[in-house]
Amino acid sequence: MRQFISAWAMALAIGTVVIVGGESASAADEYDYDLVHSSVSFKARHLDISWIHGRFNEVSGKFSLDREDPSKSTFELTIKADSVDTANKARDEHLRQPDYFDTKQYPNIEFKSTSTKAIKDGYEVTGDFTMHGTTKKVTLVLMGGKEHDFKKVKRVAFSTELSLKRSDYGFDKKAIGPIGDAALIMIDCEGVRD
Amino acid sequence: MPDLLLYLKSMGAAAIVSSIFVLTMARSRRQASTSWWNSVCVVGVGLGLAVGFYVLSLRFSLPPVNALDRLLLIVVPVGLSIEFLAGFPRVPRWAAWLFRLSLAAAIPRILLHSSVYLSGSAGEWSLWQAVAVMAVCSTLLAGVWSLLARLSRGSGGVAISLALCLTILCAGLTVMLAGYIGGGSAAFPMAGALLATTIGARYGMRQISVPTGSLPAAVPGTGVVCLFGLLFVGCFFGRLSGESALVMLLAPLLCWVAEIPLMRHRKAWLVTVLRLALVAILLAVVLVMAKRRFDRDMAPLLGKAQVSEYNLCYWNRLSQHGRGPC
Repeated sequence: MRQFISAWAMALAIGTVVIVGGESASAADEYDYDLVHSSVSFKARHLDISWIHGRFNEVSGKFSLDREDPSKSTFELTIKADSVDTANKARDEHLRQPDYFDTKQYPNIEFKSTSTKAIKDGYEVTGDFTMHGTTKKVTLVLMGGKEHDFKKVKRVAFSTELSLKRSDYGFDKKAIGPIGDAALIMIDCEGVRD
Repeated sequence: MPDLLLYLKSMGAAAIVSSIFVLTMARSRRQASTSWWNSVCVVGVGLGLAVGFYVLSLRFSLPPVNALDRLLLIVVPVGLSIEFLAGFPRVPRWAAWLFRLSLAAAIPRILLHSSVYLSGSAGEWSLWQAVAVMAVCSTLLAGVWSLLARLSRGSGGVAISLALCLTILCAGLTVMLAGYIGGGSAAFPMAGALLATTIGARYGMRQISVPTGSLPAAVPGTGVVCLFGLLFVGCFFGRLSGESALVMLLAPLLCWVAEIPLMRHRKAWLVTVLRLALVAILLAVVLVMAKRRFDRDMAPLLGKAQVSEYNLCYWNRLSQHGRGPC
């Protein structure tokens, strides 16, 4: 009888651990990047008198949000460098060349989070940002994160801006020329889940 | 932005260093063998390239991360090393050609390393496409290299080297006009080092018994590797068209035209001029076409083409503090 009770208690304990563990694993909501309602755009100085605007048309990513333990949330974003679009075909072709993005050698611009913490109205996400073959740690302040249910599709949105120097990412300073070294990347993205 | 003065400086620096080295060697040993001259030419070209690239301040990454890095840090040094070894009398000719052909086979793979072409990503090459393209490119390089080497064994060495210098310069300018400024600029030190080594070696070798106009195989060999590398990088990573790249790779082969019986026994200088003129005419056509393409595609980015007459008038008035209607 004693053996039966101990076995039953052990089974109960294991079951509890499995259920609780399973719940905690599923506490994070997985979202896919919604290309239709998102944009990754940028602007860079031209001749130090004005700004050139552009965007990347092919972006993918996913993020998981753990509302109870935000440090377990993760964010990933992959931008196809080849999809650069500045509303000028010749300039886009030029930007794809090795003097700039070198898209045949470095096809993707990527961000992968390594740590996340909740802040007021959003998250502070630190991660590895890889562009032009160079990876650097950056911290993004993601504003947003409230979930909306629209036609049975759950949506969450974030906005952030990232200021960087192209020369820090291996871009040739001589090729930077009239386009300024500093660039501002603006990310507005929506994630969707069923 | 292109800096013509810097390119000319790098070309001049490469030429000065190569010529000083080759002429110093010429003075130090007047009765030298052709294998000794081969080694001198390899070191002369290598020193010239090193100084030229330093003046050009090209950014290199170690380990090499892009195609231009791999060309300048792996392919060209290996090419120089092979030519250095190939010049020794104890190295049999078949072994030298085995090294050269191995390099020719490896260059496309080295230059395309870790690029989208070999990653199997969607929209780029499949494995078989990649193998086929690399095989065709290697075969072309091996063919051009062997034909030029064969011609340079006779009296065509100087003409071929000068033709290669011209073609490398043209390739650099064409790559730049296609929008890849950094890649094209690498041509200037290459042309400078090869030109100075050719002239210096020919001057130094006048006292040894070799056919007039002949040159150690190292100079045209290195030139072919540099030319192929520039064109390959410009074509697969820049926007140099495949047709232009092919024409420029084959252009030095026009030196063979002077081998027809009608021209063969003419004076050496006349044959050299004919060879260079044929190559130069073809290169001029390529350059003109590249400039037209540049004017059509890239020049509008500079803004002038889109400035209307009204705008010009407006800016003129503004700069002169003038008044009155446009």
